[in-house]
Amino acid sequence: MDWMQRKYYVKQEPMSRRGLLRAAACGFGSIGLASLLDAAGVNTDPANPLAPRKPHFEPKAKRVIFLFMHGGPSSVDTFDPKERLTRDHGKPLPIKRPLAFADEPAGPLMKSPWEFKQSGQSGIPVSDLFPHVRECVDDLCVIRSMVGEGVDHGAALLQTFTGSSTFVRPSMGSWVVYGLGTENKDLPGYITIKPTLSHGGAKNFSCAFLPGAFQATPIGNSGLKAKDIQGEPIEYLLRKGFSPEQQRFELDMLQNINRRHAALRTSDPELEARIQAFELAFRMQSEAPEAFRVEEESEATKKLYGLDDPATYEFGWQCLLARRLAERDVRCIQCTHSYKWDQHAQLFVKHNENAKEVDKPIAGLLKDLKARGLWKDTLVIWAGEFGRTPVSQGSDGRDHNPYGYTIWMAGGGVKPGFIYGATDEIGYHAVEDRMHIHDFHATVLHLMGLDHEKLTFRYSGRDFRLTDVAGVVAGKIIA
Amino acid sequence: MRSEWLWIGALGLCLNVFGSDAPDFFEKRIRPLLASSCQPCHNANVKTAGLDFSSGEGFHLGGQSGALVNKTAPEESLLLKVTSFDDRLKMPPTGKLTPQQLADLQAWVKAGAVWPGVDASALRSTKQSSPHEFTEEEKSYWAFQPVRKPQPPVVKDTSWARSDIDRFILAKLEEKGLKPAPQADKLTLLRRATYDLTGLPPTEQEIANFLADNSAQAFEKVVDRLLASPRYGERWGRHWLDVARYADSTGNDEDHRYPYAWRYRDYVISALNDDLPYDQFVREQIAGDLLPTDSPDGVNRRGIVATGFLALGAKAIAQQDKKKMLYDVYDEQVEVVSKAMMGVTLACARCHDHKFDPLLTKDYYSMLSIFANTRSFRDPSPNVAKLLYRPIAPQDVYEKYQAHQAKVNENRFAIEDIVAAEAERYTASLTPRLADYMVAARKVNREGATVDAGLAATGLNKEILTKWVELLKPTPGVIQTHLEAWHNATDEQVPAVAAKYQADFDTQWKDWNKTMRQWRNRARRMIKEMNMPPPERPRFDFTKDRFFHGVTMEDGGPFTIGKKEEAKIYSAEAKLKLEALRAQEKEFKKNAPPEPDMACSVEEGDPVKQHVFIRGDYNSLGEEVERGFPALLSRPSDPVPGKGSGRLELAEWLTRKENPLTARVMVNRIWQKRFGEGIVRTPDNLGKMGDRPTHPELLDWLAASFMDSGWSMKAMHRTLMLSSAYQMASLASEQAMAADPENRLLSRMPRRRLDIEEIRDGLLAIDGTLDTTMGGTLQSGLGTDGENNQGRLSINPEKHARRTVYLPLRRANLPTLLNLYDFGDATTVTGRRAVTNVAPQALFMMNSEFLTDRSRGLAEQLLKREYTTDRGKVEAAYLRVLNRPPSASEVDGGVIYISRYTEKFGAGPADAWQSLCRVLMASNDFIYLD
Repeated sequence: MDWMQRKYYVKQEPMSRRGLLRAAACGFGSIGLASLLDAAGVNTDPANPLAPRKPHFEPKAKRVIFLFMHGGPSSVDTFDPKERLTRDHGKPLPIKRPLAFADEPAGPLMKSPWEFKQSGQSGIPVSDLFPHVRECVDDLCVIRSMVGEGVDHGAALLQTFTGSSTFVRPSMGSWVVYGLGTENKDLPGYITIKPTLSHGGAKNFSCAFLPGAFQATPIGNSGLKAKDIQGEPIEYLLRKGFSPEQQRFELDMLQNINRRHAALRTSDPELEARIQAFELAFRMQSEAPEAFRVEEESEATKKLYGLDDPATYEFGWQCLLARRLAERDVRCIQCTHSYKWDQHAQLFVKHNENAKEVDKPIAGLLKDLKARGLWKDTLVIWAGEFGRTPVSQGSDGRDHNPYGYTIWMAGGGVKPGFIYGATDEIGYHAVEDRMHIHDFHATVLHLMGLDHEKLTFRYSGRDFRLTDVAGVVAGKIIA
Repeated sequence: MRSEWLWIGALGLCLNVFGSDAPDFFEKRIRPLLASSCQPCHNANVKTAGLDFSSGEGFHLGGQSGALVNKTAPEESLLLKVTSFDDRLKMPPTGKLTPQQLADLQAWVKAGAVWPGVDASALRSTKQSSPHEFTEEEKSYWAFQPVRKPQPPVVKDTSWARSDIDRFILAKLEEKGLKPAPQADKLTLLRRATYDLTGLPPTEQEIANFLADNSAQAFEKVVDRLLASPRYGERWGRHWLDVARYADSTGNDEDHRYPYAWRYRDYVISALNDDLPYDQFVREQIAGDLLPTDSPDGVNRRGIVATGFLALGAKAIAQQDKKKMLYDVYDEQVEVVSKAMMGVTLACARCHDHKFDPLLTKDYYSMLSIFANTRSFRDPSPNVAKLLYRPIAPQDVYEKYQAHQAKVNENRFAIEDIVAAEAERYTASLTPRLADYMVAARKVNREGATVDAGLAATGLNKEILTKWVELLKPTPGVIQTHLEAWHNATDEQVPAVAAKYQADFDTQWKDWNKTMRQWRNRARRMIKEMNMPPPERPRFDFTKDRFFHGVTMEDGGPFTIGKKEEAKIYSAEAKLKLEALRAQEKEFKKNAPPEPDMACSVEEGDPVKQHVFIRGDYNSLGEEVERGFPALLSRPSDPVPGKGSGRLELAEWLTRKENPLTARVMVNRIWQKRFGEGIVRTPDNLGKMGDRPTHPELLDWLAASFMDSGWSMKAMHRTLMLSSAYQMASLASEQAMAADPENRLLSRMPRRRLDIEEIRDGLLAIDGTLDTTMGGTLQSGLGTDGENNQGRLSINPEKHARRTVYLPLRRANLPTLLNLYDFGDATTVTGRRAVTNVAPQALFMMNSEFLTDRSRGLAEQLLKREYTTDRGKVEAAYLRVLNRPPSASEVDGGVIYISRYTEKFGAGPADAWQSLCRVLMASNDFIYLD
């Protein structure tokens, strides 16, 4: 059992009054977390339910922003050019095709309709789909050898976020917040902006069997527009038509009743904890809304993220909000560009549209993080749930390919301007420095200062971890 | 893989695997590698997959999959296959070996895998594992011992104990010199019992009645009244639904609706309201469809519906590895049965013998085999597998429906025939000119000719040609491989290329016509001869032939027959016939008998021979297993699965009085709900990694009594609630806090927070808006919704007035409110919910519209009703929300609050009273149950 978990399950001795108040103040569950951590010599802020906890070792990054391209962008059309596809365009697939999503036989090899250009000092090639990101290529650590197991979206999403393609498991963000807590006491530690409703939906950001405080707080969902969300980004955060004074007045009455109720009973940390939870909630609702006021950004910043163009507005808003949350030390932030990248057909037209929507906002985010000094300790991840096949599907599309695909990371602790791993000549299988999703998770945890083998939680009679029984940290990509 | 071998070649080996260096090579390169990467799971003690890497003999003997080294073809050796990570089975599970290690291993195997000091040829590989020997410790584990009914202990204080239960509790307390907490006051007890059994607060009338009843049986009468209330089944049923991981959709990937899941939910509620004996409840959920019925029409409706227990798990139905999909479903069924009914985690033994409990991989596959012989899908093979729905109507109703459907279908296929014949005739007339159309379109597209010019002297149709021009327009940059040959053709090549397109089209067209004809014939046979619904209409997969699809099937395709064009193209005779048939179709629809009721359930499947899957991998077959039950729990007298799937025997085995687990697990669940914690505090796991019972004798006494009473759950609730233990106050003496801080001795009643159903339903009851309609479904439709469609969300519980148990749950997107208050994930067996206490819950109380509505509702009633004074209103509010009258100072406080609020914020009476009501609803007084 992990030491952190012991804090939740080991029952404490009856507490001193001071200990009791401190425990209660943390507003947390039936067991006074703060006092227990206190006893364990961990420095914690008792007023914070997700108090920051020491990592296992010195972290490279303090927070992570995950830009998720739902549907599966094609690697051979974005960051992994394959000369052989151009040369052998139209020829049959030279290898035995692995399990695919489609029933019909494999189409012929299909060249990329986009031109690749090298850029920056690193000379990493990026296709014309991402001209803005290409300008930042010297900051990227491009991983061309990702491997997953899910051939369908549901399994691939679940594995990307939770490590398991089949079962309900805690998501990576939940594990990180479980391991590290969070530093801003007025905001949730794990926020996902417009998460997907499909392919597992909330299971992709749930805490499963970890305590409920570690699940992500969703901001809207993939089916909504930014304008639908801006009014009330977090559910229940505001009461319309009710002034703070009224709320305080009402809260004072409530706390009077609660204290009287507690006084009539044997001391019970749970009762005091709920009293403190209301105080924390009151503070949250005064502080949190400010973080969501994207409209207060300067015109120049909005432009940088593409908020001046309807095509880039939506994802630009997500990225800019992500930066505001990162600035406020939210530990895990996720932006989902939902389910657009699944081009079984019309690759050219649709990938162009999709890339246009995200390219400028992503480049804007990277530049902005650098300009504001957030770069060094913010890890940015760009990934889909898989890539797409080098062979065509139905003339102008590509099928799913989890056997070798590209993601990139940037910022917090990864080598800039670096290419890691490689796929085979046609871009179907990862062959060099293969990075399984478990390895990816192990590496991300490592960058955050967590040892993926030590971060465990006992449930249903065994110790679980994000990486199950696998995962190797990709030491080569760490700066 | 290939590149790695090359890399190794370049490295050059410092040590030579052949000749005199060989032993050295083994000791330096191979032994450490096997020790660190293989031995942890494959050693003399833990022979995973029957393999022992700790000795040369063990290594060369091999395991359940045979020898590790293939002497005749070393390259094919199992050891190299699994370590290459190219095989399905990948070893070691901790990650691929380094290229250097792989190279070493390959060199060693190729050189004959010499293990110094071992003569491999003298050993014979074995595929049979010997029967497992359980240790004495394993055999004597408490939960696997037969249930015996112990004598209640003798206690010193004979006045406290009302029942035998009390004697068990008191004896332990007395051992520690503790006294039980005093009797709770009447209103606390009434509130506790009412929420416990119905999930709702007592009404003002019920409070008054109980206070007025001074008889010794007053509380007994309350318990009996509550047990008889239909609200009891909804409350206790919700707990069982937690255990049965109930939800209304598949969850993973597609999140398809389970359109008839609600029937299972309603079954649970009514079974509990009827106090169906628990053993029968178990039998029906495992094998209800196979049980005899006394229903006059011979359809075991409730039995079929009850098997929803097995059918309603989370599933990944778009998983493309269909075998994996099926085995994940069987696994889930093993998990739910073993945790919910047996209180063991048998599913942990999928890949290896259970690490902590005496449960073997073989046990797992024996039970799994029962589900592998059971069907959970109508058709697992399509891209998105088809779920199984079974009719639950009497034969004649079903037959009448079927007969009608047959007529509808016959009519439908008469239409299909005509439409197909007309389309074939039309396309046949156009196909010979296809190349001409393409050439003409090229003239327009390339040479800027007008369509009219293109038509000159060709006899082509203008409208059709226009469409061809559109279809063949070059689109620079876009890759469309199906048109590349056309666009790249030189002028000289054009006629030949066009002819090729025409020929290919013709072939595809004939193929497709054949497919469709076969489908129509098969459908007609199924309708007529087998009385079955026709197979689904084949859909031409456009990715197969984009050109053909574009020409004949897409809207606006040059040869496509659009709705509007039918009149022009079809013959007069065909039109006349179609008109009559379509009129008939309408008539049929009008007079259709209703669709018979259906259920999400399982049914008997085809016999499957089941093997152990080594490390859970279906490609690595271990020994064959018989359907059956865990070895340690088996008795010679156990039922043996015969002809069917074995579910019937499983049901019987589970509910035999000799089964040590079934009754223990259930009484522990009931105890937990009545006393806050179970006697075993991990209700879904009575195994080694679970908790030990705090009162083992009491648990056995309860289990035995439960079976003696005919497995009556209501009787068990009643027994527990009429004990002195249940009626204790939640006050803890200092002494008790010191000696029994975790309340493991039950020195007091633990305080508990209401769960989300009690909070929500309770508040709805308090402002009088609760809709107590029972049963039925609020979910409509089949299948799933668009990926980003809000239809994927569960119904918002804040906008409904039905009890929470009736709100359908879309597994992938549970309502925020339920997530917020620890509802669980509706995917895994949840016998005990977590209880968290976090700020976002407080935000719900402070800001949600739901609380706004409830407090407004109550305030308006206070203002409308007969309470003339503010004092009267405060008293009524306390009684309604907190189920007790306020003290004098609380009344004063309330009255002052109203006047100050009105004054300070210039609020009207409704606003002021709403604020006070909200305060009471948000208070600890409301949300905690003493």
